[in-house]
This record gives sequence, C-alpha cells and structure tokens, in this order.
Amino acid sequence: MSIKISKPAIISSVVATERTGYRSWGIGIGGAMDFFAMSVANFLVGNDRQAVIEMGYSSSEIFVEQDLVIGVTGKGVELRVDEKIIPLWRPVTIKKNSLLKLLKKNDGAWAYLAVHGGWVAEEWLGSLTTNFSASKGGFQGRVFHKNDVIACFENSAGHQLKILPWTISAQQLDEVYSPSHEIRCLPSVETALLSEWSKQKFTSEDFVISPQSNRMGYRLSGPSLLLNQKLELVSSPVDAGMIQLLPDGNLITLMADCQTTGGYPRVASVIKADLPKLAQCMPGEKIRFKMISLQEAEQQGYSFQNQLAELKRSCHLQFKNYFH
Amino acid sequence: MEPQYHITQLNEHAVLISLGNVIDREINKKIISLHDQLRLNPFDGFIESVPAYSSLAVYHCSRFSVVKNELDKTMEKLHSGNAHKSKLLHVPVLYDGEDLAYVAQHHRLRLEDVATLHCSLIYQVFMIGFLPGFPYLGKVDDRIATPRKDTPRSKVPAGSVGIAGFQTGIYPQSSPGGWQLIGRTPLKIFNTSKEQPCLFSAGDEVKFFQVSKSEFDSLNEY
Repeated sequence: MSIKISKPAIISSVVATERTGYRSWGIGIGGAMDFFAMSVANFLVGNDRQAVIEMGYSSSEIFVEQDLVIGVTGKGVELRVDEKIIPLWRPVTIKKNSLLKLLKKNDGAWAYLAVHGGWVAEEWLGSLTTNFSASKGGFQGRVFHKNDVIACFENSAGHQLKILPWTISAQQLDEVYSPSHEIRCLPSVETALLSEWSKQKFTSEDFVISPQSNRMGYRLSGPSLLLNQKLELVSSPVDAGMIQLLPDGNLITLMADCQTTGGYPRVASVIKADLPKLAQCMPGEKIRFKMISLQEAEQQGYSFQNQLAELKRSCHLQFKNYFH
Repeated sequence: MEPQYHITQLNEHAVLISLGNVIDREINKKIISLHDQLRLNPFDGFIESVPAYSSLAVYHCSRFSVVKNELDKTMEKLHSGNAHKSKLLHVPVLYDGEDLAYVAQHHRLRLEDVATLHCSLIYQVFMIGFLPGFPYLGKVDDRIATPRKDTPRSKVPAGSVGIAGFQTGIYPQSSPGGWQLIGRTPLKIFNTSKEQPCLFSAGDEVKFFQVSKSEFDSLNEY
C-alpha cells in the first residue's frame, strides 16, 4: 500500500497535528502551513488527525500503486488524475497505477494530499509532523526526494476514478481565504512601543511577501517602521503568526516552523484564523494588516474551531454513508 | 518576594508574563518557579509554558481574562519555598575553538586563561531556545564576555561552545550562528534517540571542565 513521489514539489513533507508540550526545550510545534486545508483534506476522506502530504511552490507528480480514496485541498495547484482534471476539496477514488499530477497555478502556495487511513509516518514526541531542525517525525525527518515511496494504512478501495459527492461550500472557503489581501492581527507585547507614524503605516499601507520566505517565516517589504526609542530585548518566547520588527525596519511574520524564542520586538500577531490565508500568499503578493481587538480575535478563534468541528461531522457522516 | 510583573497577550492563545527585560539569575529563578508551579498545578485550558530570561509564555486554549486571573493567583502563592530544584551538570570542553584566539586577544589574555575563566563559574541554564536543545547559559566572567561576530558563520558544527556578550551556550545541531566559538564538547546535548532528548532544562546549573584532545576523542558521542 504505497505511492511513489516521482516528482516532489520544491518543499514537500509530511505534516500533521502540531507537536505541543516541548517548546521549553526549544522544540517548535511545526505542523501544516495551512492547517485549515490540511484538516479538511483529512475530514473529506474520513480521517481525523492523520498525517498528510504538504506540497509547496511547484508542481508534483505521484504514482499511485494501488486503489485509494484521496482528497487534495489547499491552493496553488490544478489536480489531474491520468490527465483528467479533478476539482480540489473533493474526495476521489482512484484506481491503481494512476498518475497524479499537481500542476502549479499562481493562486496559492500550499496543497495537501490526504489518504483514507493516513500516510505511514514516524511519530516523535507525540506528533507525526516533520521537525526539520531535529530531523525527526514525518517521512524520515526530511523533505521528499525524487522517487521516495511512502506507505499508507489500510484503505477502502474505490477501483475506479470517481469524484465522491461531498465537499466544502464555496462560501465556507471564502470565509477562510477572502478577501485575500486582508490579514487580521491583534496587538502583541511590544506594539505600544511603535512610533505613532509606524502604527499608522502598519495598517494603512500594503506589505509585499518577499521571495526570502519559507516555512519558518515570511519576510515582508513595505514602509520601514521604527520604535519610539531604541530597544535591546533579551530573548523571549515567540509563536507562529507573530510579526517581528527587524533591525533594518522590515517586518517578518513567523510561520509554522518558527523558533520558540526570539529577540526582536513583537509588534503584532496574525490571528490564528487568518494564518491559512497568509500562508497561501505567494512571494510578490500584497497584504494589508487590519488590527482587531482581543475580544474579536477570541470570538474568531471559537467560530473557526466550530466551523472545523462541523465540517468534520458532516464529512465523516457522508463518508460512512457512502462506504458502509 | 513581590516583583513587579506584567501580563500581556502574545496572541489570542498565548499570554506573556514578564518580570522586566534583564539577564538576572534571581529573576530567571522566579520565572522557572512559576513554570514549575503551572506544570504541577495546570489550570483548565493550560497547554504549556515556555520560560525565557525574564519572561514566561503561557500557551492556552482559554480566554485571556481567565488565564490572567489564574496567573495572578499563581504569582500570589509563589514563594521562596517553591525554588526550582536544579541539577548540576559537569560538561567537558576541548578549548580549541576558531574564535578562541580572537576572544583572548580582545581581552589581552592568554588562550589558557580564556579556558580557565570559562571553567571557573557555575552557570545557570536561563532558557532553551533558538534550536532544539540550545541552552542559554550565564553569566560569564566579564574578562571573557565578548560581543557576537559581526558576520555570522553559515555553519557552526554541533557541540560547539560559544560566547555572546555575557552569555555562553552550546550548539546542539549544526546551524548558522554568530557566537564566538571557543571550544567544543564531546557530549551530545540533544539526542533524538533518547526518550528525553534534551540534556538540560531551564533552571539547571552547568560547570564546564577542560579536557585534552585524547580525552575528547574517548568521550566523543558524535
């Protein structure tokens, strides 16, 4: 029961639920860049928190060695199974010896491939997700190389190429990914230390995702910001979504594989519900920050969790009805 | 002990409790005691806490107001009896680092004086961060305190022992880095094949001792 990654994307690895509980040892939580797309990929194929393959920034080709039920979600690719175009965000049964192509499109950065039962991945410290700095978890603790073979657990086979009849609504997708340039954030520890001019520029001007962006952080270019006075900080904890002000006046937003501590001022933090949208921004794309209150952010967090729980319930019900 | 503390949101699921912006053994000990107390008596919604020099992040799945209340209560109950039970670790070092001569020259010392001074104090593990298992230790004797390199190295080998200002530390994995390298330890301070991969925890104490090349070779775990 396996697939062969005949052509991996530039950054392709196994992701899963975050590795919490070890940040005090400097071990970051990692996880998917777009945890919404990762979660939905799992739900569509009847999974909960199984390991998923994440593919970023370029095309991939995957040879499927047996009948499978898969789901591809995320953005930035067109899915073809044996040259037939298949929509994303749908569960699909495919027959053995099929060739999956994920062709790069410019509407996003990361795509997710889930299989019913999950991919076989290495567990480390309670999580299946890859940790690149420790070279542990996921698929041998590393990105995929050409012709890597990854196995999956028991799969209810489909025997033919068929798009199954449940999905996520366009409206639900819009709630997560639209409008694509507006990123909501809330104040963080050093926000008050920004100069008045910088505070105003932060939410009134566009910032552009720089090409020097990766799973650890997205660098931004835009107006150069400053603090009221020069400040040397001793290292203090940081988290994904945090926006740090670098000594040159530019900003960086920390992403899934960020360090656990850092020494730059934390001038804002992207709310968790908008991290999938931010993650899907390609280098060169413009974003505009919008400050919201803590109460709004907490409310968004709860409704986002509820939305995911509701999606899981409905996908699982339909999966069960279809296959049993 | 009633230090001034500030509780602020890091984001909607993390709170920072800060005792200032300093590198200070006593303040760091209070942070570690708080970290211990929260782990021993986690409140409803507590996920994990992360100690740093003079601040502690508390990750949660609750609301800020609830967590702030809990932290206020924990701070109130925190007293000197809660002091962290630290363990003392002896760490061998071969002092042959690429920047040893620079550090010696910077302070007009002989090479062996740098090693002797680096071994002379018991350091506190203030925090683990930057890389999995990287211990921030200090403070070093001001006669060897040396600023970071202007241009970081693109690759520092695992086990390298360095100095940055009043801090000293050990690279657990090879990585880019800007600390002044004075030597290397043969110990694997972060070993993923162990159930507890990290040799140090924040609050522990470390004393370095000097070893010869042949002793280093016989102890080498890399």
